[in-house]
Amino acid sequence: MSTSTPQAPRRNKNSDADLIAEDLAIEFDDRNGEPVDSWDDSPFTQQTPVVQPVDQKNICMVVDDASMTYRVRSGTDKHESSGRVSRVIKRITGSGWAEVPALSNLSFIVSRGESVGVIGTNGSGKSTLMKLLTGKVRPTSGEVYATSTPVMLGVNAALVKEISGRENIRLGCLAMGLSPEQTAAKYDQIVEISGLSDALEMPLKTYSSGMSSRLQFAIATSVDPDILLIDEALNTGDAQFRQRTKERLDEVRANAGAVFLVSHSLGTIKQMCTRVIWIEQGEMLADGDPQWVCSQYEEYTSHKSNGRKRAAQVVYERTRLQLDPVKIDFTSESRPKKAGSGRSR
Amino acid sequence: MAAPVLERADDAPEPGEARRVAQLDGSNLIRVGARPGLFRYIREIWSFRHFLYYDSHSRVSSANSYDSLGRVWMILNPILFGTAYFFVFGVLLQTGRGVDNFLGYLIIGVFTFRFFTTAVSGGANAIAGNQRVVQAFNFPRACLVISTTVRELFSSIPMFFVMALLVLTVGDTQLGDAADMPISLTWHWLLFFPCIALALMVMLGWSLALARAVNAHNDVKHLISFGTRILFYTSAVFFGTERWTNAGQDWLVTVMNLNPLFCVLDIIRHAWIYDGFADPARWIVLGSWAVGSVVVGFLIFWHGEESYGKER
Repeated sequence: MSTSTPQAPRRNKNSDADLIAEDLAIEFDDRNGEPVDSWDDSPFTQQTPVVQPVDQKNICMVVDDASMTYRVRSGTDKHESSGRVSRVIKRITGSGWAEVPALSNLSFIVSRGESVGVIGTNGSGKSTLMKLLTGKVRPTSGEVYATSTPVMLGVNAALVKEISGRENIRLGCLAMGLSPEQTAAKYDQIVEISGLSDALEMPLKTYSSGMSSRLQFAIATSVDPDILLIDEALNTGDAQFRQRTKERLDEVRANAGAVFLVSHSLGTIKQMCTRVIWIEQGEMLADGDPQWVCSQYEEYTSHKSNGRKRAAQVVYERTRLQLDPVKIDFTSESRPKKAGSGRSR
Repeated sequence: MAAPVLERADDAPEPGEARRVAQLDGSNLIRVGARPGLFRYIREIWSFRHFLYYDSHSRVSSANSYDSLGRVWMILNPILFGTAYFFVFGVLLQTGRGVDNFLGYLIIGVFTFRFFTTAVSGGANAIAGNQRVVQAFNFPRACLVISTTVRELFSSIPMFFVMALLVLTVGDTQLGDAADMPISLTWHWLLFFPCIALALMVMLGWSLALARAVNAHNDVKHLISFGTRILFYTSAVFFGTERWTNAGQDWLVTVMNLNPLFCVLDIIRHAWIYDGFADPARWIVLGSWAVGSVVVGFLIFWHGEESYGKER
């Protein structure tokens, strides 16, 4: 049951708050099971939220209550549709929609100068968060705001396979909005970082996956973005390339206003980040000091991998109690609407 | 058996139950991924013009790179089709009866039709088939569709040369009882250029609208191949126009006259093999299609700008 209705109200048992609410005859909104007055949810333990004004000069990125539910075409029966008619249609056409919840109600603010690590087990929603942050996908609800369009450094995005490495470099630079002169100026640097000077005339389809990710990395880091997202880009390539990668990344990071880093390597995260966000099952579980969050995460994953579910849950709950969620409130209609430019500088 | 979602306890503090509210002024911020206004969008496309040009240019040279004959296929393909159509329609079914210079007529029909439909179906696939580039960069997505159309034009230049050469050499071959109308190179041939320019605008408009549709619903691809077929049979590619008039249905003639591809073919045929002007109505119809398609197609595409990065 829990898999078929992923967004079912979580408050379904007779929890204390419910019983109290019944006693006090507080009206509940039937649609989501939340009390109408949400601040009065657990009246005996909580106070009115504290309002903290944030200086706009320091803000780099604001994620306001972002949720993401993928609606993907799927021919499998795993995600059963709810309606009877849609089930029949699905059986006839052999293709239907499956709703996959990926993130729910994420809110946080990133200030200028912060390096934010994002951790979480596989399938927890890290990549989805990155897609929302770069604006490739619009959240199903909530919004993402930033001072400029963030740039993602990933190794997954391949370029055009049929054309040569040299042409891909030019194409990539132009696709980032550089002028032909800027492209020519960056060309040598890109070739140097990629270390592919011998293979530049070959079409990209002849490259090994390591080679094309090196090229992709070199092209992506040729600009100095203000907000930078790095997705697992550090652990590719051989030792020689890794050294070059690290140097270039340090340079780019030093120039960037804010950095997001998604990695499974906790060592890298602890070393590079000033703050860590842990996402688990699409929800934020922790947000804070890298040492503390990483140690919780390590404990959690070690329990999980050893099959100690109860112990893992204890860590989960314990971590979650420490979470101090934030709500975003824009002063007097200053909620941003305007669009950013796709050009990088 | 344990429940799959084990960690979620009912009495934990609810997520989203914020205990603090951050109040901020968002006037310096942008909404990430937001669609720019129409004029801003056009300016953005202009600023990516070098990308657009380079993208179309570099991919022309790489098209057919998987075939041993490579670029020769761009010319070989319509010649093979033309030969096949000539035997089926010209010799077996005799659809060319009453058409002067039927061979030239057929060559212009087949080559131009091919140019039109490959460009439109390529443009329709420009977003869905380029998801990697879309995911990696933030340029205005219309650039991809425009560059596909431009690329189609670039790669068709040798094909048009072959078409002109064939029309000049074998286009006026005597077939059956048709009148002898020798074809020669006159200034009328230049009418080809404004005509193709208008055709490009129609193609771009259709590509823009279809690119959004294909990206949203892959099923549209099936409809495109169906539509291509219909267009093939209704644009007088391989038969004379009297067949429409003789059918005795006035509305059929009206429909045909409003078909932009028929207008393109008719204009080029009159200019090249009949050495004269087509009916001015053709230019009016084609011109309206061109302007209308570009405006409507662009608006449709721009309106869906935020949806193109989504996985399907």
